[in-house]
Parts: sequence; structure tokens; C-alpha cells
Amino acid sequence: MSDHALNPAHAGHDVSHEDHPGPGLYLLIAAILTVLTAAEITVFYVPGLQPVLVPILLVLAIVKFAFVGMFYMHLYYDSKVFTTLFVFPLLLALLIVFGLLLLFSHLQGVLSFVVP
Amino acid sequence: MAAQPKPLAFEHPSYLHDPGGIWSWITTVDHKRVAVLYGITALFMMAVGGMEAMLIRAQLMVPGNHLLSAAAYNEMFTMHGTTMIFLVLMPLELGFFANFFIPLQIGARDVAFPRLNALSYWVFLGGTIFLHLGLLRSIYGLPDAGWFGYANLTERMYTPGINVDCWDIGLLILGVSTLLSGLNFFVTIVNLRAPGMTFMRMPMFIWAMLVTTILILLAFPALTVGLIFLFADRFLDTHFYRVSAGATPILWQHLFWIFGHPEVYIMALPAFGMISEVIPPFSRKPLFGYPMMAYSLVLIAFLSYGVWGHHMFATGMGPIADATFSITSMLIAIPTGVKIFSWLATVWGGRLRFTTSMLFAVGFLVEFTIGGLSGIMHASPPVDLQQTDSYIIVAHFHYVLFGGVLMGILAAFYYWWPKITGRFLSEKLGKAQFWITAWAFNATFFPMHFVGVLGMPRRIYTYAPHMGWDFWNYFESVNAFILGFAFLLFFINIIWSAMDGEIASSDPWDARTLEWSIPSPPPAFNFAAVPMVTSRDAFWVRKYGTVGTHGVAPAIAGGAAAAPIGAHAEVEEHIHMPAPSLYPLIFALGVFLMGVGCLVWTRLIIMGGAVTVMSVIGMVFEYPSFGKFDPAMIAESTLGLDHRKVGMWAFLGSECVFFASLISTYMVYKDRNLGGFDAMILNIPLTSVSTFVLLTSSLTMVLALAAVQRDDRKWSVFWLASTVLFGCIFLGGQAFEFTDFVMQGLKIQTNLFGQTFYTLVGFHGIHVLIGVCWLIVLTIAVARGKIGKDRSLAVEIGGLYWHFVDIVWVIIFTLIYLMRTVKHA
Repeated sequence: MSDHALNPAHAGHDVSHEDHPGPGLYLLIAAILTVLTAAEITVFYVPGLQPVLVPILLVLAIVKFAFVGMFYMHLYYDSKVFTTLFVFPLLLALLIVFGLLLLFSHLQGVLSFVVP
Repeated sequence: MAAQPKPLAFEHPSYLHDPGGIWSWITTVDHKRVAVLYGITALFMMAVGGMEAMLIRAQLMVPGNHLLSAAAYNEMFTMHGTTMIFLVLMPLELGFFANFFIPLQIGARDVAFPRLNALSYWVFLGGTIFLHLGLLRSIYGLPDAGWFGYANLTERMYTPGINVDCWDIGLLILGVSTLLSGLNFFVTIVNLRAPGMTFMRMPMFIWAMLVTTILILLAFPALTVGLIFLFADRFLDTHFYRVSAGATPILWQHLFWIFGHPEVYIMALPAFGMISEVIPPFSRKPLFGYPMMAYSLVLIAFLSYGVWGHHMFATGMGPIADATFSITSMLIAIPTGVKIFSWLATVWGGRLRFTTSMLFAVGFLVEFTIGGLSGIMHASPPVDLQQTDSYIIVAHFHYVLFGGVLMGILAAFYYWWPKITGRFLSEKLGKAQFWITAWAFNATFFPMHFVGVLGMPRRIYTYAPHMGWDFWNYFESVNAFILGFAFLLFFINIIWSAMDGEIASSDPWDARTLEWSIPSPPPAFNFAAVPMVTSRDAFWVRKYGTVGTHGVAPAIAGGAAAAPIGAHAEVEEHIHMPAPSLYPLIFALGVFLMGVGCLVWTRLIIMGGAVTVMSVIGMVFEYPSFGKFDPAMIAESTLGLDHRKVGMWAFLGSECVFFASLISTYMVYKDRNLGGFDAMILNIPLTSVSTFVLLTSSLTMVLALAAVQRDDRKWSVFWLASTVLFGCIFLGGQAFEFTDFVMQGLKIQTNLFGQTFYTLVGFHGIHVLIGVCWLIVLTIAVARGKIGKDRSLAVEIGGLYWHFVDIVWVIIFTLIYLMRTVKHA
């Protein structure tokens, strides 16, 4: 008997592990992640790309993040409830990062212009 | 109350009856018993916190008083706040009422993770004791830097004793307990509701607890990070809050209030839920505006994350920040107002029964509204700048937390006590308690508005005479003692009820929700047959059909006569409740030992860690269906999802906020360095290799899962062992990097870059280390045949954690390493 309380039958709609992708796709994702990481490092070392370093690196990191989340963590295949449980806090976490950066830098800078 | 003198004949022993004696309480995992343990501890701490308040008021009763020294007074107000918030209000709401009534109201037999529930309690008890450990060394050993622990007052140079150490580590321990409780209740509500109980059919208390658990999961990590920085400052000589090192104490305030304002709602929302349960039965009407009440809870929770700055107007955040936080703070009054008016509309035109519970509910409405209105004043920065740190603030938050939250809790006590114990609390004593409380509370705290306007600051241990504060302070203190007397009546009432209280029937209030459909006190398994829910107010509809579901119900007889759902039903066969376990207590002991080790003997940290790890392993393998993929269980769950996966994803969501707080601190502090080493020291080639290694470990992890799922033991072990190997290589790389930096002279104490870098990357490394240990256990279990296809979930959940650690590194590698030359601040 499991260590959880019992409830009678509902219409279960969990996606079982049989719907997860096979090793072939995992290897493909790994190849993509390798290429993206190599691209990140290349961008870092190319002087001509320094002006656009931040947007390129951020996009590449987001894509890698999404690939791992969607395919290795199976968010693409599993219930959307899991995606919600992860993405909502992730957005909140981003807001905290942006909020603190704004509060500690740019908004304090504004103060010096506004207040004589 | 409805006249039902005859108690129900219990067909099964209640949860209170157990031949095991005290051992059965120590090893219990029954949510009701765990709730009772929380309740007893919290009531004891309520008495302690109340006495601290009495001492504060005795000291302030007359000017120039020296009953307490300044140091002792600091300890009293610090511990009064800390105790009432962390050891009384939250444990009563979450540990006691939510623990007891969430499963009963949603028609479940227990919470989703019963052992985790017991573990939360024992860790909570350990944290409670830890906060007071300083008393062993000195009578002046209690924490003394305020419940808010503002930096840099908490730095070692200003508070050299162990007082703040106990506060810091104690809150970290309590945070673990709260987070685990929040996770457990969240999964329970989301995935364990009775058939037919949709979100819009849930009792409002359940809605409130659902939103509260989300707040807990997403607010506590910020406090944890702030406390970790404080720990590092005190024990490792870092400078997270030291201006002399280029840091700013304001960082603490941000982290603390990112947690602190949602914390206000973590305390307030359960009280909202309790009031929403109490008012309808005593008005004989359904809750008015149910959908708007639910949406308002969600909106309050959402807005509560955007208002933390209103605690910090005086720090000079700048006009844009002030205006933003001011607007969001005022906006939060809208959903709160919706709730107040909905409660009033519920009462309006009802057949009111002024039981003690209803009186406290009405008291809540009045006092909380007063507190809310003064709160809107503080949302205006110019007004707040005049009022901050004065006694107006003390008046405001006591109207919210005592007049609001505690009145709500007292209403819940009188309402639910018969269900918990099977006996009534005395209505006569209860009403006496209410009226004395109503007078004494207002007489104590309302004049604080006056002395605040007259300029009396908070946190002063005495004051000169003839400042215009003498009379009001004397008046407040006398009434505070009367308030203490009211609580003495409450404790007497509890003892009287336990010894000689009137026996309660299963449904003494003719109530509307499922908990009243089973005997009082409930049997261990809660429901003989799990109820089928067909509408909101499920029990009421079962009793009376649609009569009274859209207006005032006629004064008909009590509900017990109307065949309660679960009380007399034939007991389902094969009800298996989770077995008792000693491991939760052992786990808490290990955590406690680690905390003590920080204070006195570092080897204890290792011993405590070992005890903790062994208890986790013991708990996991004690669990009969460890990692078992159970289609029947999934079919039985509300969302058709496995509890353990839901829990893991909710935990990972919470971890996002944890790492966000660490990353943002690094980014804020990186450019505040006062010279010396900076990010240019970072070894990009080495970490590039480490990144490839960690990404490869994610591949081997997912291949291991695929192998386990096809029951291929040989390849399962191979891929799992490979993942462990890659994890170890990554950790080795990190160890090499750290050692290299230290050899070059960059230590954690060196400068802001060093401390933020080591903390962020170090905590990621600790996560990797935990993952490696986890994977080693899984590898051994797979190799020994304990985990196969049928238990692949164990590997899947371990894998989720591992991949999360991987994606956090993806972000760290980009933001910290590759963007090392980018200025953020």
C-alpha cells in the first residue's frame, strides 16, 4: 500500500513514461546542446561580437534551458500542470532578479537626477 | 449550537484512541495527530509569547522604568515578534488547523506525504528549541536584534554573542519545516481532492490554504538566502551587509521583505479562510460571492509579491520605486475590500447565531478593517515617512495580526474544537473571553496610534516623563494585562473542555462542509467511504438538497439527523493507512545537531549530517511503494498525476526563487567591488569543459531512465554510474577552480566578488553533491534489483532534480562566466 491517502477513481490522464521519447531523440538533443554551448564559447572569444555578446548569450542560454526542460525533463510530453508549476515560479524569479537590479542601480540613478 | 445532546455512537475508535501510548504519538504520521502536536506546541509558545508581551508592557507602563534592562527589553520585543509569527500564528494556522482540516474538507484520508508531515513537525520543534538555546549560556542569551533582524545590527561586531546565531540558524531550521509543510499541503490540495470536488467546489478555507502554500513555496527561499548571507557574515567573516566592504545593509531589507510581505498574507489568508467557514453556518446562508472571494485570494497573493518596498520607503529607494510600490500597495486594498464586503453580505439578512465563534468572526471583521485602513495610510510614502518606526506602526500590525489573524484563529478554535476533540469549549467562558478581549485589545492598541502621532518611537525600552505619552502608556499596559487575563480564560477553557466539556455530535453547528459528515473526533481513516462531491457546500446539499444554497436557510433541525456522509457508512475494505515511523524524528535530530554543531563543535555538523542522510535513506526504503509506478494511485488522484512528481515540480519551482535571489545578489554586488580580484579571474576554458561534462551527465541521466523503464538493469546501472562519474568530474573541476582561486589569494572573505561568487557557485555545487549522493543510492538500488521498471519513478524524480541542477548551471555559466565583463549595476 502506498504512503498516500486513497481517493476513489477519477479519470486519470497522466502521461505514462511510455510516451517519453527514446534514446534517439535524447542523443539529438545532446548534439544540439553541444553545438549551442560551443557557439556560446565561440561568441565569447570573438572580439567582433562583443557589442552583441549579451543578447546572443542570453538567447543561447534560454534555448539550452528550454531544450533540457522540454525534452530531458519531459515537460513537452508530460501534463501541462508540471509546466505551470515550473514556469510560473520561474517568471517570478526573473521578476525578482530584474526588480533587484533596477532597485540597486537604475532607479537609484534616477534619484540623483530628480532630487536636487 | 444545534440541540443535539446525544453523541454519535462511534463505530470505530477515534484517532485519539491508541493503545501505543506516548510512543504512538512520537512515531505518528496521522495528519490529525501531527496537527495536535503542532497545536500543543504552538499554544505553549503562545503563553510564552504572551508573557514576553506582558513584560514589554510592564516595562513601558511608567516613564523611566528599570524593571527590564535595555538588553533584556531588546530580547523581549525580538522574541515576542519572532515567537508570535513563527512559533504561534503560522504553526496554529498551518500546522494545526490546516493539517487537521485540509484532508477532512477535501475528503481525503491523509495528506499526500504523511511522513514528510511528521518530519515537518519535529523539525519545527527543533527550530523552536534552537531559537531559545542561548538561554543555556546566559539569561541574556535570547536573540535581540528584532524579529526583522536588520543588518548591520546583526553583524558579529554589533551583536557578538550567540543570540543572533540562534536566531539565524533557528529560522533556517524553521524555514525547512515550513517549506516542507507548504509543499505537502499544496500537493494534497491539488491532487488529493475527493471525486467531484473541482476547484470551484472547494471550501473557501481550502482555497485560502492553496494560495498560502504557493506563497510559502515562493517567498521563503528569499528569506533563506538572506539568512545564509547572515550566517556567512557571522561565521565565515564575509561582508554581505557591511558598508565598509562596499556592500549595503539594504540588501538584507530587500531579501527579508521579499519574503516578509508575502509572509503577512501567509498569516492573513488562512484566517480569511477560517472566517469564510465560520460565518456561513452561523448566518445560515452560503458564502456570498464565492467566485470573487476565490479570485480575490489569488489576486492578493499575486500583488503581495510586488509590495515589499513599502516597508522600505525610509531607505530612499527613489521616486519611481516609491511610486511603484505605493500603487501596488494601494491596489491590494481592492481584493481585500471585495472579501470584507462579501463577508458582510453573507451576514446581511442571515439568521444570525452569535456563538463565541461567530463573535470572534465579527471581531475579526471590525479589527482587521481598522488595521487595513491604517495600512493604506502607510502605502503613501510621504505619510509613511512620518509614521515609520513610530507606535502607529505597532498599532497597525497588531490590528492586522492580533485583531485580524488571531481573532480569526480564535473563531476557528471555537468552531472546530468539537470536531477535533469531540467536546465543546464552554460558550460562557468563551463569550467572557471575547468581550474582555474586544475591550482590552482596542484599549491596548488603539491608543498606540495617539502616542505614535505624539512621536513615540518603537523599540525604546524606556522614555522620559512629560512627553505626553505617560497616560496612554499606563492605560495600554493596564489593558494589556487584562488582555492577558482573557487568554488565561482561554487556556482554562481548553483544560475544562478536555476534562469535563460537553460531548459534541458529529455536526453540532449544522454546518456545510465535509468534515462535519464524520464522527467527532474522527476515526484514524477519516472517511469510512470516500465521499462523492456533487456541488459546493457538499455536506449541506447532502443534508438538505438545494434548500439554503442561494439564500437564508430555514431554521430546520441539525444536520446529524440527516444521515451524514461518512459516519454510518459501511467501511471500505482494505483501508491501509501509512505505518508509523521514527525516521522523521531522527531526521529532525540530525538537523538540530548540525545547528548545534555550528555553535559549539564543528564535528557535530558532520555527525548531524550523517544522521540526517541516514534517516532520509531509511525513510525512503521504509516506504513500501518507494518509487513504484502505480497506475491505480494515479487514476485515483484528482489531476491524474503522481503526487511525488507534482511535489518535485513544486519544489523545483521554489528552487527557482532560491537561485534567483543568489544570482541577483551576485549581479548587484559584482560591480560594487572595492578593488582586488574580480570576475576576470574566472577560468573560462576549465568551466567550458565542466559545462560540457554536466550537459553530458544530463544525457546519461535520461538514458538511464529510459533503460530503467525498459527494465534493462545492466544499461541502467551503466548510465546511472556514468552520471555519477560525470557529476564527480564536475565537482572535481569546481574543487580545482576554488583551490586555484584560494591559492591566488581570492578567499570568500576577500571582497564582494569573492563572497558572492563562492556562495552562488558553491550552493550550486552543494546541489550537485546532493544529486551525486542521490544517484549513488539509486545506482546501488538498481544494481541490487530493488528498482526496476515498476519503480522507475524513483529514477525519474531523481533525474528531474539532476536536470534542474544542470539548467541552473546553464544560467550560471552564461551570466557569471561568459558575461563576466558586463556591468549590471
